[in-house]
Amino acid sequence: MNSVIPIIPIAATDPIDIQSLVQPDRVHKRVYTDPAIFELEMDRVFGQAWIYIGHESQVPKPGDYFTTRLGREPVVMVRHTDGQVHVMFNRCPHKGAKLVPDGSGSAGKFLRCLYHGWTFKCDGSLLSVPLRSGYECTALDLKDPQYGVRKVARVATHRGFVFASLSEDGPELKEFLGGVATSLDNFCDRAPEGEVEVAGGVQRVVQRNNWKIFFENLHDTIHAVATHESSWRAAKEEHESMPAGTPKPFEVVIVDGNGEPLEFWEKLELKGYDHGHGFMEGIFVPPTDPVSLAYVASLEAAKGAERADEILRVNRHNTIVYPSCSPHTSFQQIRVIRPLSVDRTLVEIFSFRLKGAPEATFQRTLKYTNIVNAPSSNVMSDDLEAYNRVQEGLGSDGGDWVSMHRAAGRDQPLPGGRASNGNSEMPSRNMFAAWAGYMGVDTGVETNEQTGSAE
Amino acid sequence: MNFRDWNEQQDLTQFLHHEARLLDEHRWDEWQKLFTPDGLYWVPLVHGQVDHLNHASLFCEDALLRSMRARRLEQARAYSQQPPTRTVHVLGNIALESRDDDAVCTVRSTFLLLEWRKTEQRTFGGSVRHTLRRADDGWRIQTKRIDLVNCDAPHEALQVFL
Repeated sequence: MNSVIPIIPIAATDPIDIQSLVQPDRVHKRVYTDPAIFELEMDRVFGQAWIYIGHESQVPKPGDYFTTRLGREPVVMVRHTDGQVHVMFNRCPHKGAKLVPDGSGSAGKFLRCLYHGWTFKCDGSLLSVPLRSGYECTALDLKDPQYGVRKVARVATHRGFVFASLSEDGPELKEFLGGVATSLDNFCDRAPEGEVEVAGGVQRVVQRNNWKIFFENLHDTIHAVATHESSWRAAKEEHESMPAGTPKPFEVVIVDGNGEPLEFWEKLELKGYDHGHGFMEGIFVPPTDPVSLAYVASLEAAKGAERADEILRVNRHNTIVYPSCSPHTSFQQIRVIRPLSVDRTLVEIFSFRLKGAPEATFQRTLKYTNIVNAPSSNVMSDDLEAYNRVQEGLGSDGGDWVSMHRAAGRDQPLPGGRASNGNSEMPSRNMFAAWAGYMGVDTGVETNEQTGSAE
Repeated sequence: MNFRDWNEQQDLTQFLHHEARLLDEHRWDEWQKLFTPDGLYWVPLVHGQVDHLNHASLFCEDALLRSMRARRLEQARAYSQQPPTRTVHVLGNIALESRDDDAVCTVRSTFLLLEWRKTEQRTFGGSVRHTLRRADDGWRIQTKRIDLVNCDAPHEALQVFL
């Protein structure tokens, strides 16, 4: 396979024959249930890919920090006094203590370890140690970078979105993002000032499923009408109980949309890009209520009607930035997917404010977050039930394979990717082609290099 | 602030006990009728949260959203309610926090909520502030604010009203 991701050869003693578990249009249940495969994923997928860390606005001032995990590694994003954002391991090089507490805050001018007071600049370089004289004539060289906080191998930013990689090698961030860079661009372009900022708190949901099941569901359109029947029916009934002619409230629109028939979804276009990324063209017709119209006016005032129209014409539902996050450009949120174990996944939902847009626009973003993404979501509770039943079912002896056959072989080539109709399982096949590349096997799915469609 | 007398204390305590019972017995329609038309059911996401418009919440539900949730819970194909969630509320420390006039008061209580579904039992606990408004036939809830002790923890699905 001619992948740009370096392939780590599997040692001859490797007890897991991953090659035997992935085929072009189906995968073995073990990839979702085997703890040993999960550990390999942490090394090979999360150890190589560009992983979303956070947004620069989460560390606005020098000394501000935000902790998260990169695969299984605890890392911290810190803004240095020169304004640059660094991502390093949250570990003191002296005895190993976590340097800053989990969460976010300000470390002040320096990072000081709680245990013995070793002090570091906000770029991680060692500033001072107590009892300096005690290290004279020893092998410990305070100028040696190894006694600074270890940085992750690579950090790069796209429009304020910070990504990091544990691997020295591999494509640059822009090349890695490929076709989904346009989703992050549109995310920001929708702000009258061209920038966004994280605001309004983060919601966290624990799911009892393998992380890949969640990613597959992001572009699985045909589950919506079945799985979400309880919520879309409730929303429709709610609207029907209102006086005739009442326009659909926003709360109803974002819930009852899942009740569209399969023909509706089929007409949407799914796009898949190299490295497992992709997006779905928007489900929602741009709303015309006063809040939406005031927002459009603010964008037009800043950018002109023509440019505003061009920006708003990019109407996307979930985007997949494999394997770490899913931005929603129309409602300004990012869901960050953090695998915890083979059958536990943490999803963190960050909301964003469009700089320069009316406050009501941000309040609507939070309404979407509350209704669709919160742990209390009427929509997501049935998703979580489905994921859990899949995870439990896959652990059984009732069968060995998971089908991804739907509309296989009908993809249309795109520069750097492929397109399919909305009901295709192309996104799952596309993600597994990338997964297999990271894991070091060839699924037989053609890459763009082979089809010659790459730019 | 003290209750004016035993009758007032009984009146407000019984209202809270009645509300908890309606929730535990899934009598959603009766529960919704306890709210004023513009009443708010609110579970903040972070400790000390002051704002439900400019900050995300665990629940932030007006009459439309409360009704939508109640209707969903009763759908035959609410798969995540197979089996349905069962709860029991235990209330305590009921105290009168403020009284604007004879028609509006705020009552604070603490609660433990035992929840069971499928194979697991969960426990939630925290404090509740009911802002109540007197109607002809009893109290109405203007705001029910529930501050969970672990509001900012990662949660699994929260399906029923707390």
